Amino acid sequence: MFSRTLAIARKELRELLRDPVYLGLAFIVPVILMLLLGYGLSMDVKHLPIMFVDQDQTPVSRDYIDGYIHSEYFELVGVTTEPRAAESLLRRGTARTIIEIPPDFSRKLLAGEEVALGVTVDGSFPTRGAVAMGYVSAVNAAYNQTLIEEFLSARGLRDAMMSPVQMALSVWYNPSLESKNFVVPGEMVIILMLFPALLGALLIVREREMGTIFNLFAAPVRRWEIIAGKALPYIGVAFLDYLILFVMSVYLFQVRFIGSFLVVTGGALLYSACTIGVGLLISIFTRSQLAAMLLTFLVTVTPAVNFSGFLAPVASQDAIGQFIAQLIPATYFMEIVRGSFLKGLGFAAYWGDLLTMAGYTATIYAIAWAGLRKRIG
Amino acid sequence: MPEAVIAVDNLHKSYGRKRVKAVDGLSFTVQKGQIFGLLGPDGAGKTSVIQILAGVLRANRGAARIANLDCRRAPERVKRLIGYMPQGLGLNLYDSLSVAENIEFFRQLRQVPADRFYENRDRLLDMTRLSPFLDRSAGNLSGGMRQKLALICTLVHLPDILLLDEPTTGVDPVSRRDFWTIIHDLVAEREVTVLLTTSYMDEAERCHQVALMHAGRQIASGAPEQLVSEMGAVNVALRCAAPERLLTLARSWPEVESAALFGSDVRLMLSDPEFDLEGALQAAGIDDFTQRRSPAGLEEVFVHALRQPENDPDGRSDRHSSGRAQTNEGENGLSLRKSARPGSDGEHAVVTEGLTCRFGDFTAVDAVSLSVRRGEILGLLGPNGAGKTTLIKMLCGLLPPSDGRAEVAGNEVAHAAHPLRFEIGYMSQRFSLYRDLPVDSNLKLSAGLYGIAPAERAARIDQLLSELELASYRDRLTKSLPLGIRQRLALANALLHSPSILFLDEPTSGVDPIARRRFWNVVHLLARREGVTVIVSTHYMDEAEHCDRLGFMQQGRLIALDTPQALSEQAEQKAGPLVTVRCDDFSHCFTVLRQTFPAAMLHGRRIQWQSEEPERDTEKARNLLAGIAPQARIDSQPLSMEETFVSFLGFDRQTDV
Repeated sequence: MFSRTLAIARKELRELLRDPVYLGLAFIVPVILMLLLGYGLSMDVKHLPIMFVDQDQTPVSRDYIDGYIHSEYFELVGVTTEPRAAESLLRRGTARTIIEIPPDFSRKLLAGEEVALGVTVDGSFPTRGAVAMGYVSAVNAAYNQTLIEEFLSARGLRDAMMSPVQMALSVWYNPSLESKNFVVPGEMVIILMLFPALLGALLIVREREMGTIFNLFAAPVRRWEIIAGKALPYIGVAFLDYLILFVMSVYLFQVRFIGSFLVVTGGALLYSACTIGVGLLISIFTRSQLAAMLLTFLVTVTPAVNFSGFLAPVASQDAIGQFIAQLIPATYFMEIVRGSFLKGLGFAAYWGDLLTMAGYTATIYAIAWAGLRKRIG
Repeated sequence: MPEAVIAVDNLHKSYGRKRVKAVDGLSFTVQKGQIFGLLGPDGAGKTSVIQILAGVLRANRGAARIANLDCRRAPERVKRLIGYMPQGLGLNLYDSLSVAENIEFFRQLRQVPADRFYENRDRLLDMTRLSPFLDRSAGNLSGGMRQKLALICTLVHLPDILLLDEPTTGVDPVSRRDFWTIIHDLVAEREVTVLLTTSYMDEAERCHQVALMHAGRQIASGAPEQLVSEMGAVNVALRCAAPERLLTLARSWPEVESAALFGSDVRLMLSDPEFDLEGALQAAGIDDFTQRRSPAGLEEVFVHALRQPENDPDGRSDRHSSGRAQTNEGENGLSLRKSARPGSDGEHAVVTEGLTCRFGDFTAVDAVSLSVRRGEILGLLGPNGAGKTTLIKMLCGLLPPSDGRAEVAGNEVAHAAHPLRFEIGYMSQRFSLYRDLPVDSNLKLSAGLYGIAPAERAARIDQLLSELELASYRDRLTKSLPLGIRQRLALANALLHSPSILFLDEPTSGVDPIARRRFWNVVHLLARREGVTVIVSTHYMDEAEHCDRLGFMQQGRLIALDTPQALSEQAEQKAGPLVTVRCDDFSHCFTVLRQTFPAAMLHGRRIQWQSEEPERDTEKARNLLAGIAPQARIDSQPLSMEETFVSFLGFDRQTDV
């Protein structure tokens, strides 16, 4: 009963193994992409290049500057007395933040007067600009705090009054707030959306372009046998991709994994079947390989990156965004992967997502089956 | 009444918003054990019919039945019975899979039990001489081998009905013979029914029954011999001192259905074989001539059928209105060339010495040395992949030679590729004009690219359009043109800048016979009147006879180069003439004769083989057939161009060993 399915599957596997382009698309490109994104895409803002225009040039002003350069958040580009020189550095991108200390900085401080600093932030990347402003305010606040402490203790007042409200801060799930713990598993979900779908998208349309599709169309092969024979080996490929990317995440990028491997892996198996199915569906309804590949890019990567919760939580998106999120398989797998990596929750938390993915996959293959015609026109 | 295995009744199929009619009310039946040929040029609708029968294309109207099963309603049941081979050289093969793996895939797909299969497989591999290549990947096979492997894959499940779409197009003559031997054996042993399509008319004569198709309709049908004899026409090849005068004269006689220059001969087709040609010629003052008569073939039947007014479907009416005058381009002096150009004054237009082209380890063209006189038509013949296209590309300066040299119109191709462009016209194998532009714009674009002064462009384009009879297509979109017109447009495009040398790479593949004749008329006039040198590659054996000289190519080498007649004579000297047997029970006779003459081949109802001792073989055959077919006609005949070609390929292979 399965002999024809096996015949097709065996042929697909042989063709895949002998074609360097497909083999590269199946295994090498996903790994390279994971490396590039894993090392390149960090949302942590550190080592911001900062420039000082110190027109005061006193121990007091130098003390203020010290507050910045002794943190990993800033990297000192230089100290100058010439505002124009600093501006040109900002324009060139060598410096992202300029702090201008006026000539009467120390005099006013010692006299107990207020003094205003000029802070200029490069806002061309809004997120980075906002983070820079936050860092500057924090360092500035810390300096103010020191000044107040000195002022009060000089007058013999109690330490406790210095900061009346204290916070006991604790961060759950990603205690160090490192973005890699959040980004790397997300990247895995995106890559596993794109490449299996791309491979699947070529399955039918390539044979259609080559002319070999007639072998299947003119033989007494059932439609489900064609679909199963073509999908199964590639589901295996997609699953192997998952294993490779998982190992890379945990051992190469050192992302903490505390969840259930079984749940993630079960989800990955469903996700593999689902993404191959998405590609196969595209392959059935397109007439050229090029159209199939472009369409696959359009319907997989774009929504997955924007709406699956990869960059911003689904809950924080508007109504349309949330609606789209529910339509793409990446959202459900993202939930399982992120949760398992960071929160360590088990099956109980994710059976809903797994069930949705299973239903999704079944629907995709049903449409593919109904849409596949053993005719060319 | 024997059982009809395939029955098509009033079948209709049109594409794209019902505008293009591919099949237009076609009906025919194929009996069990018959080889049925569906003939016609590209775009006649042959492929659509085959695909509808194979259950992979939906028809609009009419009936298509195989073994009493409805191909339109129950295609899946039909698919169990048939072997379908789609068009294209082994296009149904998987290139990265080996020969053995390809066959195995088809076995598994068709769930053929292993024991019966392997016996059959080995026999087919032997017959096709593919056994030594079991482990080679299909992508590395030659065109002919691919096509034979494709046939094996179609046959693994031992189907009783075969649907073969252009199985021999672009296949070299040797592979073609293997192919026909297999088909014949299947028919003789298992009474397999075969429906095949082809655009080669000579091939079609091997079928039991044929239907000629044009523009989706059937314009003639019957047994090939019957069609030919019903038409009653005869071909005459005339040779005399003033061929052009004879041509003009012959066209004014009503008994002459068509007349054309063929090399140095004038070929006439007489609709009335009793016509007193000698008398007419002598009355016109032509006394000194020789004539050779031969029965008309299917191609003439096709041409004849198309000339009937009721068979003119799609407004290509200029064919009739100008009737015989259509072939009279030369009358007023064809002026396709403006003037002779400098740089080509020598005796030879093309000279090559040891010209070689290598792609990595593969030698596509291997030390070819030849010279072509000005005004000569040189034909290049060879199997796919023999190096014809590569040779032409090197001569056009499109590919740098790896070794050797070539001088074209006085320019060294390796160093002067740019000036060369203005001397040559090149028509590539694939249609290379812009399909979405009107005819006129395509020509204007090329005129601009060749730097023809804007003031001259319009006049030059007008001139070419009228001389190649394309004026009525001027504003048509290029993609809407019939194939034959498209090829003439490509020729006009290659002639825009008045080249002195013309390179034509398979210019007439798939073009219908009438359009091919008109194409060749222009080529002849260019060569004869304008002194244009023409180098042309072709797969059509009859076209080869248009050429002044022929070059046979095999595996990159030029293995023979001479006039068609000299080549035939050489081949006949080496391996003898053709012994031909005609009889009624040809199938049985063939089986008997093949045991004594292993080289015997079946051509339709004719059995023939090349014989070094024709008298002895004729006698032997007569004795063998005395008991079975005493009325058989056995005689020896000169070699046709195809046999000549095959003989040379054979000599070359022997010297290899």
